[in-house]
Amino acid sequence: MSLIEVKGLKKTFGSLEVLKGVDLNVEQGQRIAIIGGSGCGKSVFLRSMCLLEKPDAGQILIGGRDITAAKGGQVDEIRRSMGMVFQKFHLFSEMDVMDNLCLAPTRILKMPRAEAEKKAMELLSQVGLAPRAHAWPTVLSGGQQQRIAICRCLMMEPKVLLFDEPTSALDPTMVGEVLAVIRMLAKREMTMLIVTHEMNFAREVANRVLFFADGGIYEQGTPAEIFDHPQREKTVAFIHKIKYFSYEISDRQFDLMQLHGGIQNFGEKYGLDQKRTYRLQLCCEELIYEMLDHCYPNRDKADLKLSVSHAESDGSTQIDLDCGGAAYNPFEQEEDGLGVTILKNMSKQLEYHYTDNRNQISITL
Amino acid sequence: MSLSDKLYTILIKGNSWQTILGGLWVTIQISALGLLLGTLLGALICLLRTRKNPVVRGAASAYIAILRGTPVLMLLLLLYYGVLAKAGIAPMMVAVITFALNVSAHVAELLRSALEAADKGQAEAARTLGFSAWNTFRLVTLPQVLRIAKPVYQSTITNLIQWTSVVGYVTITDLTRVINNTASRTMQPLLTIIIGMLIYLALSYIVFGIFALTDKIKARKREAAA
Repeated sequence: MSLIEVKGLKKTFGSLEVLKGVDLNVEQGQRIAIIGGSGCGKSVFLRSMCLLEKPDAGQILIGGRDITAAKGGQVDEIRRSMGMVFQKFHLFSEMDVMDNLCLAPTRILKMPRAEAEKKAMELLSQVGLAPRAHAWPTVLSGGQQQRIAICRCLMMEPKVLLFDEPTSALDPTMVGEVLAVIRMLAKREMTMLIVTHEMNFAREVANRVLFFADGGIYEQGTPAEIFDHPQREKTVAFIHKIKYFSYEISDRQFDLMQLHGGIQNFGEKYGLDQKRTYRLQLCCEELIYEMLDHCYPNRDKADLKLSVSHAESDGSTQIDLDCGGAAYNPFEQEEDGLGVTILKNMSKQLEYHYTDNRNQISITL
Repeated sequence: MSLSDKLYTILIKGNSWQTILGGLWVTIQISALGLLLGTLLGALICLLRTRKNPVVRGAASAYIAILRGTPVLMLLLLLYYGVLAKAGIAPMMVAVITFALNVSAHVAELLRSALEAADKGQAEAARTLGFSAWNTFRLVTLPQVLRIAKPVYQSTITNLIQWTSVVGYVTITDLTRVINNTASRTMQPLLTIIIGMLIYLALSYIVFGIFALTDKIKARKREAAA
C-alpha cells in the first residue's frame, strides 16, 4: 500500500480550475520535489494533502485512510501522521520555542512534559538551536524560525513531511541553513513532498520530480529526466526559462512598426542588449517579407505566425516562423537576395521544413 | 478666601468628601458592571458577527452600527424614559444596561478586528499538527487576539468611565453630578470642577497603570526565560 494515494483530485476557485483531476502515489521513503510556475496549483495540491484546502472532488488516502471522507476528529487524527512546513514558518507567537515544540505532543499525544522537553532538546541540538530553546519567535531570524518549525513537526513523528516553499520567505543568506536541515532529513529516508523554486536543491535532494502545469502533473520523472532531458514543451520552457513573444500576420499591409515595438519591449523586459534586439527586428522583418513575396505571390491575404523565444538559462535567442502558401525554402535558392544574405550572416543556425502544407523556419541567432 | 479655605469648604466642610466619594463609588460601579457585562455581550455579538449565516451576521452588524453611531446619552434616555420606563427598574440598573450595550458594540468590533489581525497561518499550523478547531482557537488564536486587542480595550475602558458622566440626566448621583452640586453649593465652580476632573484623570491613570503593570510582568517573564 502506498503511503499517500491521490485519486482524481479537483479544486476550483470561483471560475478558475486550479487542479483538474490529479493522481499521485507516494511510496515510503520517496522524496518528491514539486516544481512549476506561479499559480500552477502546486501549493494548493500540497495544502489539499492535509485538507487545508478542501478539494471539490477526488480522494486523498493517507496510510489507506481517506482524509476527504473523514469527519471532524478523524481528520485531526489523520493529520497527525503528516507534518506541514510553511513558507512563513508560523511559529506560535505567544509562546517560546520550547512551548512551541511541546504544545502538540503534550496536549495531543499526552506525552509527559519532561519527556517532551527532552525530545525537543534533542531535535533542537540536531538543527543547531539548542541554546535558543527559551527564546521567543520574534527575536529569531527567519532561518532559525524555519528550522524550529521543522522541529515542531518532527516532535509528532510524522510519516511524511510536506514543505510549502520552505525557503521562499527567507533572506538568501539563510536559505542554506534550512536546506541543510531538509538534506539531513533526506539522508534519514524521511518521506517528503517539497514545493520549491530551488532547482539545484530539488535535483540534489529529490528522487522524483513533478512538474505542475495545466492544472495537474504535466511531466514527472527522476531529477535527471526532468532537469536534463525534459520531454514536453512547457517543461522545456520552464527548465530553460524560455520567454516568448509572438506575432500573427494576416495581411500584406501589416503593422510593421507595431511588430518592431513588440520586439523592442520583449528585449527590454528580458534584458537583451540593444544590438541583439536590433538584429532580431531586422531578421524578423527580412524573413517576413521574404516569405510574403514568395509564398503568397500576388495575394494580399496571408497566414503567417512569427514567434521569438529567448532562453534565460543559456541566453540563446530563436525566431520561429510558420506560414502556408506555396512551398519555398529561402535558404536554398540559386542566388541569395539581400534579405537572405542578411539572415545568413546574422544567424548561427538556419532550418527549413515543409510539412502539412506549411513552411516552417527556425533561425537561431 | 485663601486656597486652603476654599479646599476646606469644598472637600471637608459638612463631610463633603463623603458625598464626593459616594459619587465616585457610583461612577465606579456603573463603569465596572457595564464593562463586565458589555465585554461578555460583546464577545457574543462578535461571535454572531463572524457567522456565515447572512441574517445573523447582518443583524449583528446593524446592532454594532447603531450602537456605535449614536450617542450613549440618547440610548440612556431612550431606555429610561421609553423602553424600560414602566419596568420599574432602578435608574442605576438602567445605566448599567445602557453602558453594557454600548460597550458590547465597541468590544465586538475590537475583537473582530483583532481576530482578523491574528496570524491565520499559526492556526493552520496548529490544525496540521492535529489540534481540533476549538483547541486551536483556545491555545493559539485567542492568546494573539488578547494581545492585539489589549491597547484598544484599555482606551475603551477609559472612554467608558468618562461617558458615565452623563448618568446625572436620569437622576443618578454619580461623580459628575456630585461635583456639579458641590460647585453650586460652595459657589466655587472653578476649583470644584478642576478637582472633579483630577479625580477622573486619576481613574484613567489607574486603568493605564494596571495595563502597564501586566505588560511589565509579561516582559519580565520573557526576559527571565531568555
